[in-house]
Amino acid sequence: MLALSRKKKEALIINNNIEVTILEIKNDQVKVGISAPKDVPIYRKEVYMQIQKSNEEAVSAKGMDALRNLF
Amino acid sequence: MNLETKLFGTVGVSEEKKIHFPGGIIGFPDLKDFILIHDEEVEENNKISWMQSVQEPAFALPVINPLIVKPIYNPMVDDKLLKPLGEWTDDDLLVLVTITVPSDLTKMTVNLKAPMLINSKERKACQIILEEEEYPVKYPIYDILKAAKEIAEKEQGH
Repeated sequence: MLALSRKKKEALIINNNIEVTILEIKNDQVKVGISAPKDVPIYRKEVYMQIQKSNEEAVSAKGMDALRNLF
Repeated sequence: MNLETKLFGTVGVSEEKKIHFPGGIIGFPDLKDFILIHDEEVEENNKISWMQSVQEPAFALPVINPLIVKPIYNPMVDDKLLKPLGEWTDDDLLVLVTITVPSDLTKMTVNLKAPMLINSKERKACQIILEEEEYPVKYPIYDILKAAKEIAEKEQGH
């Protein structure tokens, strides 16, 4: 992982078209602004992880045989 | 080509049946090619299909048309997020949601928050995460499917 130190209002450019700006630093919370093309999906990681877990759980489909008998 | 799958054994697949997810699916960016297998052992009114990975035999997601379990499902999606789908019109668009089927069937859910959108014409697809709070990751469906089955049985009885 690349680790870069940034101060408030400083920014990073990723791939020529994504800009990440540190907007505000308050205690242990940082507000980040992201300018990216609209077709770049941006998710909070915890939400992304929740969907990843849901996909994993769906793959396991433990009750599928039981479901066949029931419905 | 023949495709090895864990659930269905060897399945013959023609190249044009493949569905391509340019960005993979959420959490599995490397899984980009799938085929949709219809599970004929499950009764017709259930309409569960499987999104089977071409690359990974053990990876198959049970999916269902969300309208079967939630009659009003009309999320707002920014068109730009649908760029991976290529060119499409409403008639080409197929929406599916994943089903989680735990051992305890009463705890069955669908993921309404992260639908799969498929351009059936170009066979390109993506899975997106909706911002709207009203669509939960775990939407219970056991009672809904059960009620639908009872109605179907009653109709058959008359």
